[in-house]
Amino acid sequence: MSAIHDSAAPESGAPPVPGPARWRPLRKTGFGAGLARLVLLTLAGLVLAGIVHIVAVLMIPVLSERDATSAYLGLGVGGKAELVSGPGAATGLPAPLEADNSAVMAVCGYDLTSGPMRVVARAGALPLGLTLHRRGGGVIYAITDRAAIRGVVEFLVMTEAQLDERVARDEEGQTSRELRIVSDTAQGLIVARVLAPLPSDRGDAEALATGVACGLAD
Amino acid sequence: MRVTHLSYVVLLGAGLGLLSAHLAIAGRPVVGRVQIGPWDAWPKGGGRDIDPYLRAHLARGVHLPLGAGEGLELIADRDSEGRGLDGRCRYLVRGATPTTRGWTLGVTDGAGEPFRLPLDRTGFSHAEILRDESGAMAILASVTAEPGNWLPLPASGGFQFRLRLYDTPISSQAGELRPDVLPAIRRLDCR
Repeated sequence: MSAIHDSAAPESGAPPVPGPARWRPLRKTGFGAGLARLVLLTLAGLVLAGIVHIVAVLMIPVLSERDATSAYLGLGVGGKAELVSGPGAATGLPAPLEADNSAVMAVCGYDLTSGPMRVVARAGALPLGLTLHRRGGGVIYAITDRAAIRGVVEFLVMTEAQLDERVARDEEGQTSRELRIVSDTAQGLIVARVLAPLPSDRGDAEALATGVACGLAD
Repeated sequence: MRVTHLSYVVLLGAGLGLLSAHLAIAGRPVVGRVQIGPWDAWPKGGGRDIDPYLRAHLARGVHLPLGAGEGLELIADRDSEGRGLDGRCRYLVRGATPTTRGWTLGVTDGAGEPFRLPLDRTGFSHAEILRDESGAMAILASVTAEPGNWLPLPASGGFQFRLRLYDTPISSQAGELRPDVLPAIRRLDCR
């Protein structure tokens, strides 16, 4: 009864008088309609917030100009990896964050637009690890000097298209002896990390890390 | 009226979305974290299938994480009983390490950078410590000097232990490790 009575009342927008006797469905009044609209708009805002959150998290690695690839891409143009930590590091470069003080890092940037890259590292007495960091984040390959054949770790970095081209050039029936690693981005970093367990090992570690050669494969 | 509604939705969406994204990647994300006793690891951080939150976190600075086949980094900001690490206390890091070619244990601040302390000793490697007859590592971390393998701590405030295992077979199965294969962090006493 009261609902029928209330719906006939003019929508003045005045707040309803509280109390069980004067209770009315909210949607029928100006205040109720406003509240319903606010809830709907807030829900729409929350959905949009979810979309913005996901897009932001996915786009930060793509757009970041403070990441390691942007900082170190120019290193290694001379065909050798260059130090990024310690006193021997190239000047003007940002130091790597969260780095181990007892490890020496040398970096070589790669850009596959001009062709595949060949990386050659000599194994020494200290533990050496080579990793491929693609632009936008993610380690696409890691190898240590335990995989060295006759004291040398050697591999090629190429794009999918360059791999297809190389496979087509391979002689029929012959297995290739090259270790070929596909990078899904044209640019990235080759990082040589050598552990120097004692401070006196640092010189050897730096020599080992900067001894990593990286140049065009052909 | 319509413009007010639209701007409310856009402001709420953009504001909340960007703020939540910023908070989610300001530190190392909870997503993808593996807890082994007091140690935290992000084993997927060194692979192709890196979690998007960790990827975004790492892309905000010059990070070169260890590759999955290269090693594993373990971070502890609490002791084995779950209490936060504090420079006013003495800690004993004791136990075995998994099979590895080399390890280092360092003391860092929350961002992973070593403290600037008067004594130039920010960590130990497997080659630098004195061992007892069991062969296990036992490192004492405190502000004041201690006999044995002493690691200086900042005078107060929180800090982290970072254990890096180089060339270890466990890096790909870090999620299945039991706490007793890693060193325990025991709080001895506090000032």
